[in-house]
Amino acid sequence: MTTRDKDKEALSALMDGESQELELRRSLDSVEDDDALRAWWSRQQQVSEILQSQRSSQTGVDVSARVRSTLASQPQFQRNPLWSMAIAASVTLAVVMGGQALLPTAELTPAPLVSDIGGAVVPVIGAQPIRASFDARPVPISTQPPQGQGTVARQTAVAYERLARDRYLRLGAQHARAAALNHPAPFVHSMRAQTDSPLEVQDSK
Amino acid sequence: MVTASETDQKLVQRAQRGDLRAFDLLVLKYQGRISALVSRYISDPGEVEDVTQEAFIKAYRALERFRGDSAFYTWLYRIAANAAKNHLVAKGRRPRSDASIEDAEAFDEFGSSSDSGSPEAIAMGDELVGVVDAAMQALPEELRAALTLRELEGLSYDDIAEVLGCPVGTVRSRIFRAREAIDERVREQIGGGSGFR
Repeated sequence: MTTRDKDKEALSALMDGESQELELRRSLDSVEDDDALRAWWSRQQQVSEILQSQRSSQTGVDVSARVRSTLASQPQFQRNPLWSMAIAASVTLAVVMGGQALLPTAELTPAPLVSDIGGAVVPVIGAQPIRASFDARPVPISTQPPQGQGTVARQTAVAYERLARDRYLRLGAQHARAAALNHPAPFVHSMRAQTDSPLEVQDSK
Repeated sequence: MVTASETDQKLVQRAQRGDLRAFDLLVLKYQGRISALVSRYISDPGEVEDVTQEAFIKAYRALERFRGDSAFYTWLYRIAANAAKNHLVAKGRRPRSDASIEDAEAFDEFGSSSDSGSPEAIAMGDELVGVVDAAMQALPEELRAALTLRELEGLSYDDIAEVLGCPVGTVRSRIFRAREAIDERVREQIGGGSGFR
């Protein structure tokens, strides 16, 4: 790059407000007695003005009338009713799952936070009594309700769970079928939709 | 975003310290727009030139009072408009039209104004726009992208570097090369700069 090019590049940066003080001083030195450089700066201002005048200008293209006309001549777009079913199924599923979570069960019966051997006893949901002592190994917390407690409540919870599970599977299958018809990969969803039989839980024992 | 007023601010600060070279760059930058403004008041080309010159001289003399509350061009525009009006009053004539400060501020914001000038100037301007557009289209992609982001989008060199994924020095070089290439086309088309200041 020649000295002249360097001078022009410095002026170009100055135009853009990207020139440092030292460089600005050098640019002023170079432009002082150089009419060609002054003319270059002057021309660049005009070119910049032309380019920037296009900043706010539009292309002049107005396709709005054509788009409106095209849309008006075509039949109204109608939403596939299966979409509504799928959305309804999703909402129902959320309600069912939420309701199940809020159902009081025997496992959630308030239990004392600390042992009643000593200290204050505060009933807290899910807490089990533990006696603290040296040489004691951690006591696994049982998730099973105590034998003989809340039998009626437990039976109700089990029945409700079965009912909710069946409903969940039915709605899930319905949702999958609806989605399969509207999804770009219908095969996958069709396959899912076919597995609408109740899930079989493997017994690890 | 870097605005034109930041460049002006640097040059004005130096000019306020008496650096005539800095003021010279401001004159070169704005003489076309100021003369276009003056020509809205005055039709005689010779008088337009005189009043334009007078406006810049008044501006330089008043420069120490310029505090930067408004953009330099807005301030200069006001001086030039007053100079043109005073010129007409001294000659006992009425202005061809009136130009407002809002025009100057609109110019400042968008980089162009409604100052029309003579039909020859309009024709020359249209020709220039065509040449600049064609030159811009002929630029290699990397140069065109850099210059577009600078001139049309108003991005700083740092931002352009980030967008294009290259060093700031490369951005600076590309913008310069783009301007140089456009200038070459402009000088070819216009024939060495006749009518093109």
